[in-house]
Amino acid sequence: MSLNYTIAMLLIALGFYCLLFKRNLIKLIIGLSVMTDGIHLFLISMGYRTGGIAPIVTSELSSNLSNFASRAVDPLPQALVLTSIVINICILALALSLSIYAYRHYGTLDPYQLRRLRE
Amino acid sequence: MIPHAPILAIVLPLFAAFLMPLVGLLSKRYNAAKACDWFAIAAMIGTLLLVADMAPSVWGGHILIYKLGGWSPPWGINLAIDGLSIQMALMIAALGTLVIIYSAGYMQRDTRKDLFYALTLLAITGMMGIVLTGDIFNFYVFLEIMSVSSYALIAFRRDSNAIEAGIKYLFIGSLGTSLILLSVAMLYSFVGSLNIADLGAKLATYRDGAQPVPAILIASLALFVTGVMIKVAMVPFHTWLADAFTAAPTAISALLAGPGAVVGIYWVARLPYLPFGLPVGIILISLGLLSMVVGVLMALTQRDFKRMLAYHVISQKGYMVLGIGLGTLGSVLGAQGGLFHLLNHSTYKCMLFMCAGAVLFRTGSQKFDELGGLGKNMPVTALTFLIGALAISGIPPLNGFVSKYTIYLGGIEAGLPIVTAIAVLVSALTFASFFKAFSSVFLGQRSERLRETQEAPKLMLFPMLMMAVICVAIGLLPALGFNIVGPAQSAAENSAGYISQVIGGI
Amino acid sequence: MVGWIWDPIVATAAILLGLLTAYGLLRIGHKIAKPRPTVEKMKTYACGEELKPEETHSDSEQFFSPIRRIFRPFYRYIQPVHTGVLSTYLLWAVVGFIIILAIILLTVR
Repeated sequence: MSLNYTIAMLLIALGFYCLLFKRNLIKLIIGLSVMTDGIHLFLISMGYRTGGIAPIVTSELSSNLSNFASRAVDPLPQALVLTSIVINICILALALSLSIYAYRHYGTLDPYQLRRLRE
Repeated sequence: MIPHAPILAIVLPLFAAFLMPLVGLLSKRYNAAKACDWFAIAAMIGTLLLVADMAPSVWGGHILIYKLGGWSPPWGINLAIDGLSIQMALMIAALGTLVIIYSAGYMQRDTRKDLFYALTLLAITGMMGIVLTGDIFNFYVFLEIMSVSSYALIAFRRDSNAIEAGIKYLFIGSLGTSLILLSVAMLYSFVGSLNIADLGAKLATYRDGAQPVPAILIASLALFVTGVMIKVAMVPFHTWLADAFTAAPTAISALLAGPGAVVGIYWVARLPYLPFGLPVGIILISLGLLSMVVGVLMALTQRDFKRMLAYHVISQKGYMVLGIGLGTLGSVLGAQGGLFHLLNHSTYKCMLFMCAGAVLFRTGSQKFDELGGLGKNMPVTALTFLIGALAISGIPPLNGFVSKYTIYLGGIEAGLPIVTAIAVLVSALTFASFFKAFSSVFLGQRSERLRETQEAPKLMLFPMLMMAVICVAIGLLPALGFNIVGPAQSAAENSAGYISQVIGGI
Repeated sequence: MVGWIWDPIVATAAILLGLLTAYGLLRIGHKIAKPRPTVEKMKTYACGEELKPEETHSDSEQFFSPIRRIFRPFYRYIQPVHTGVLSTYLLWAVVGFIIILAIILLTVR
């Protein structure tokens, strides 16, 4: 289980690195997306139970609900991650469309060149 | 009380936002030019009536709890409205109505106004959701709704400044909300619940240092505080605000400076008490002092009208965070001063941005060097700008004086007179900066090309005059403000009462 | 003995009276001597150059040069750091997060 958490923290760190040190807006957007994917991996791994079953009540499991509840994986983080994935798709779409307009106005996607508003 | 009023206050602007493109289509077919404006204004007045309906029962003492879908807390999402939430909801609804009336006048030369109103109403939905909810992941969802709508609104006119400001705000804001999501994830992994009252109850053992605080809780608190500070634009996270408010359409600057400041300060007021309960007072006081000083010093040398007002927003938000930080040191006046300053600041800052927008609308320029002598052409705008400038500097008998004086007294009451000294100095520098702004724009020589500028249209003057009346009224009768702020401050501190009323009332 | 002078209503009335008196004096002064700038008068301030009085405006950035001189350490280091580059601003946010984490570690433990 700690492999999941390690990879999640690694993804978050890589996302931060891309956001801070890359020189192209598309790479910054990729970094933001990788970072939020790391957070989603962290959130799902938290709900995992070793040797657990999927949290869907079928007809043969509905007879013994307390046994099911002690064996099933937590469904709440899965719902949270679904919501968060949808939100991040919206941010990704908006960021890409703003980058298209930025390229039309400035001719470059380098954040070090998008400096008309300063001080 | 209107049944289901809490959820209707969130759902009404949301449905109005989604119906807005349909209204735009119908208005083009039947040639009703102003249908979008009236529809948006009607939706906002409905929200204001709903919030005003909830207010008396909340001020009577008990917390309104609305269980979504009938699921009781802590298993379901619930809306919990106490004194602090109702102050914020009243401000968002009232100032939102005035901003939409203003934008009906300001955006009359733009096309696709139906999309503009849809995004604005979505932003207002997000703000209402943040202050009314009692569930921490629901807070994250509404925060993202408000943030994404404002990223799109800042880049609405798609000129190069607006696109650049939108990109910067998008990246810095997304970083902030991702940090809040990580903090919520860590909290859930540690505690197992997402309800704010339930989190407060389960984390109560760490509150007074009874047990050593585990590392994951420290990381979660640090991430949450950083995320909230990015939204409130404290130094050193303030960099998005100056660019965003300069390049946005002025109605959106007024919306984000007035009601938009409310949601950040709402969570700053809750931070020391719920859901963590750990001491963050020193962070609030130091960030508040730093923001006050950096904001006003950067504002003194600006050439651009709206950029100067944006740096003053950073400075005044520093006052509010400082006041709430002094409240954690035991000074009741400090916390009341911080929340009262939020009430006053939203009013007069909205009004100042509206004056800047009126000048920009009529003359086409927002730089000090190109304006001058407009006091003869635009007398009403000049008068409301003067009232706003005196209010922000803390001159009696306007409302800014009352809240700033309360913060000064709070500094002395908490045993830190150096804080009061720095606050008075920053007030003096604020007055100097607005002195320059008023005389550069409205007094002095009027150049030839500005000879024909007219007064702003009536739809823009009406909200400015309403806010000026509110400023003078609260200044002459401060009891009006303290009746709203007193219950808010005691509700923010009374976390035990909040927890017992939300969870104990299953 | 003069405790009544600190009464808020008296103080407000005194402030308003002072403002009205100042405004009245200003109006009387303008009636006696109206400001009439001409190109000849502007020549003394413009070192002999011919400028139209409507086109002159005090420079908005150097308006407060005394205050800039007092706070010179601030204006030398902190104002140029607002470079306008997005990556620098994100770096500040991360550094600020690390500082907040350090402060919380020191005060809460």
